[in-house]
This record gives sequence, C-alpha cells and structure tokens, in this order.
Amino acid sequence: MEKFRTVLDFCLSHQKVLGYSAVSLLTAGSERLFSVVVFQCPCNSWNMLYGSVFLLVPALILFLLGYLLNVRTWRLFTGCCAPGRCCCCIQRRRCWRYFRVLWLVTVSAAVAPFTWIAVALLGANFYECAASGSSLLQRHLCQGRGTQCHEQVARMPCGGTLPQEAQTFVSLRAQSQVLGWILIASIMVLVLADTCLNRCRSPVSFLQLRFWKIYLEKEREVFERKAKEHATKLAERNLKCFFESTEPEPFLTPSNKDWQQISSLYAFSTKGQYYSMIHKYISAKRGTSIRSTEEDVFSPALLFVDGTDFNEMGTI
Amino acid sequence: MGISQTVFKFLSSQKKAIGYSLMGLLTVGREHLFSLSTFKCPCSSKNYIYGLVYLFAPALVLLLVGFALNGRTWQLFTGCCVNPRKLFPKGKSCHFFYAFGQITLKAFIAPVMWLSVVLLNGTFYECAMSGSKNLKYLEMLCHNKSKKCLEELPKIACGQTSLSSWETEEIILTLQAESQVVGWCVIVTAAFLSLLITCYGHCQSNTSHLQKRFWKIYTKKEKEQFEKYFEAYATKLSERNLKSFFENKKLEPFPMPSVRAWEEASALDSFNINQQIFSTLHKLVEDSMKENDSNVAQDTMVNLGEGETV
Repeated sequence: MEKFRTVLDFCLSHQKVLGYSAVSLLTAGSERLFSVVVFQCPCNSWNMLYGSVFLLVPALILFLLGYLLNVRTWRLFTGCCAPGRCCCCIQRRRCWRYFRVLWLVTVSAAVAPFTWIAVALLGANFYECAASGSSLLQRHLCQGRGTQCHEQVARMPCGGTLPQEAQTFVSLRAQSQVLGWILIASIMVLVLADTCLNRCRSPVSFLQLRFWKIYLEKEREVFERKAKEHATKLAERNLKCFFESTEPEPFLTPSNKDWQQISSLYAFSTKGQYYSMIHKYISAKRGTSIRSTEEDVFSPALLFVDGTDFNEMGTI
Repeated sequence: MGISQTVFKFLSSQKKAIGYSLMGLLTVGREHLFSLSTFKCPCSSKNYIYGLVYLFAPALVLLLVGFALNGRTWQLFTGCCVNPRKLFPKGKSCHFFYAFGQITLKAFIAPVMWLSVVLLNGTFYECAMSGSKNLKYLEMLCHNKSKKCLEELPKIACGQTSLSSWETEEIILTLQAESQVVGWCVIVTAAFLSLLITCYGHCQSNTSHLQKRFWKIYTKKEKEQFEKYFEAYATKLSERNLKSFFENKKLEPFPMPSVRAWEEASALDSFNINQQIFSTLHKLVEDSMKENDSNVAQDTMVNLGEGETV
C-alpha cells in the first residue's frame, strides 16, 4: 500500500510530463501500427503523393485534434464574439495576452504531430516511398537511361533494385533517420531553452510556484465537487416543486456576471497574493470587475494558471 | 438493480471509449474481420454498384441508428403529429432547425468513422473502382500495361485475371493507395469541420466557460434526479393502486403533475441564459415563482401549482 501511495504521489507531482509522455507513446504506437498494417507503398507514380500523405496528413489531424481537445482553447474562445460583447482585440494589451495563451495552446497541440513525424522519419518507410517517387531523385539516378529507369526507381521500396542504386536506397533510409533525430534533438533544445527562459523571468519564487500548481489542482477538484452538490440541490428543488406542486423556495446561485468574471484570463497583480480568478474575485468587492489593469504583470511563467483542466472537452 | 441493468448502465456511460476502441480494433484486425463478413466482389460489370453499396449503405444505417439512439430526437418529435405547432412555437421557429442540426452533427460521427476505416482498408474501394465506367480513369490505371488490361480489370479483385502478376499487383497497389489517400482526406476534412463548428459554437455563446461547465453538470444531475423521482413516484402509485385492488379499499388521492405540466416540462430547452436558467424544468419553476409573487394578493391558481389527483 505504501509503495502504491509513493507511485501515486510521483504520478500526481509529474502529471504534466506524464500526460505528454503518454500522448507521445500513444502516437508512436499508432505510427508503428499504421506503418506495419496499413501502409503499402504502391511503387509507381503515386509514390510521392502516397508517402507524403502518410507522413503529413496524420500529423495535421493530430494537430487539429490537439486544438479540439485542449481545454485552454475553449477557455480562450468561449464568448469571444458573442453578440453584445466587445471583440477581444480592441485593447492592444488584452489582444497580446490572448495571442500568448493561443501560442501556448498551439505548442501543446504540436506535441503529437511532431512525435508522429519524428517516429515516421525514424521508421523510414514513408520517407523512402515518397523520395523514390520524387522527380528530383529519379532525374539524378536516371541520367541518360530513359523513362523505364524512372519506373525502376519508383519500384525500389517494393524490393526491385538496380545494383549501383542499392546504395542510394540504403542512404534514403539513413537520410530519413538522420532527419528524424535532428527533429527530435532540435525540439528538445527549444523546449529546454523556453522552460529556462520562462523560469528565469518568473515573478514568483520556486516554492511559491510549486504551491501555486498544487493549489490550482485542489481548487479544480473542489470546484467539481461543489458544482455537483450545488447542481444536485437545484435539481432536487426543481423536481420537488414539479412533482409535489409546492411553492418553490428561492435558491441562491452565482449570477452570470460572477461566472464571467471567474472565467476570464488570469492577471497577476503584484499588490495581492491571488492564486486564481476565483480567489481574486471573492477577495475583491463582489460585483466589481477584476479583469486586468495597467499595473498587472503578464509573465509567461504564469500562463499555467489559465491551463487548469476543468474536464471539459470542447466537442459538440 | 439487476446485474444486466448495472452492466448496461456502465456500458452506456463508456459509449465514447467503446466506440473508439471498436474503430481501433477494426483498423487492426481488418483482414480477419472483413473475411468474416459477407463481402465478395462479383468481378463483373456490377463491381461499381456493389462496392458503392458496401461503402455507403452501412454508413446510412449508422446515421439512422445515430438518430434513433439520440434522446433529443424523440424529445423533438414526440407528439408532433398530434400538435404540429409544437415544432415551431411562436417566436422560436428556428429553434427546431438548430436542435435538428445539433442532432445531425452528432449522428454523423459513426458514419464518418466507418467510411475512414473502410477507405483505409481499401477492399471495397478496390472492388468499386475496378468496375468504374469512367474511360479516362480506366486508361490511367491500365497505362503502360498489356492490351487486355481494360477487359480484365473488373476481375482483378478476385485474382482471376490472365494478366501477369506484376501488372495485377501494381494495379491493386494503386487502387489501395488511392483508397487510403481518400480515407485520410475524409478524416482530415471531418476533423477540420469539427474544429470550425465547435469554435463557432463557443465563440457565439453568451455563456462563460465555467458556467458552461456548471450547466453540463446540472443537466446530468437533473437527469439522474428525474430517474430517481420517476422510480419513487411510480413505485408509490403502483403500490397504492394494487393495494386498493387486492384489499378492496377506497382509493386514496395521489397528487401528480397535470398533463399540461408534463407537456411544458417536455418542451425543448430554448431559453435565454441571461435569465440564468439551466433547463426547461428550471424555467417552469422560476416562472411559477414569479407568477406566485405577483399573484399572491389576488390568490389565483397557477399552472405548475395546479397539480392533478389521479
């Protein structure tokens, strides 16, 4: 039991990294599956299109799914262009803030597609099929040999080889794998540099950041629990009134304005220690606007505050 | 609750996960599963129709099943022949189209998944296109092949051609490649449209993100409470009826909502979020509260407060 608790604590404290690793593993597994089960290079003039489609289209699909399933996307866009509300980009400062959060969403959504492309390049099947259909390679290998040579080059991924070109074939696989490793290495370097830079520019200390992340996790859990209790009480009161034809008792519930205030993007103020918009709203006078003012600091290190997952998938 | 009921309840709560796992299994175990099915390409001029039927008829069936299994379809259409005015109430005529549109979009998920799986497999497409009547397409397939290629093309899916093995293999690989490229295009188009529509829906929404979250939780809890109340009231009413029947006792009065109250509670939810209403029932209760407040001096009966005794 103790060991189980230790493992659970480890998982909870490294949730984000474990989440991304799980997504990467799943993507890598699917790529291998598709490569082995579904992919069959046609070995003719279709090579280039077929190989490129298998390499890039699933990455695009994963990218779109990344946006669709990311809670931050919908936190950002809900009510953006609602009738009667001013469009987000009227204030330049607020516009810039939206773009920063959108950038963060894009980076999260890019994990799965880059994993797909990297694993596909390491596997080399798709690249070699696409490259053997590329007119550039065919012209290079078939100098002075006629059009039949082009077809023979296209048939290389299916096992048909010409003696000297076997080496080129092998080097296609090597090219693909080298590209794959370069992609992985450059992404790792960029991620590390970005994390380093963000932490350096953080307005709060290391321990406070740690506490902040745990607080947000707990607030999310308590929000779910309280919302369910509140919803149950409201539903019971409505149904009791419906079935028993009794007079309904008044029921206090947060107003639309309250909900809108706590749903807006987080703005860190150096004056008060507020760990979330809910915390900020209930500390200020209820009914006043707590949206960002001129004195607020927007640090990239604090963008995680808007990323709290309230378990909502933005699907229809 | 019986075991079968518990299992059924658990399965219906995991609908999405089960659906996606099934699709995944279909993609992986495709050869096995499709050989078990009844598909046998006729290898004649009927290839085209046969292949298209196998491609689209199951998709149509899945679409209709999607409509049938969605509770909102029945909420929309129940009683519409008796009272057609219900579909287009005064001042809210386009709400029917909005609700029907939402139901249709949800029902399209299963057919699109089916189409993408069978196109990635390639068998049905191969059969269909080998019997295509488009001369240009057939000539493109038979490019640089022997003269009898055009005649033998429909028999290629059965492996009964007299063409050389490399010609047959190349044509089959080309058809499969085409099918898979079309399959990926279907998936990417569906993902893109899905993102656009969801984005549009969220952007236009008057509700904030967290209030939407609470709204979803409330709808779920109200549904659970409805089931609980239905069971409790149904039990009490049936006990009273059977007690009176068997013990030959006088019927005790049993208050229940009127037919009109049931009608109003079953209406489609078309309310203004500015009033902070989360469901049709919630609206009825709040409206009756407002009427009670304004009529308290006049002492009149109101809709909801006026139940029936059965």
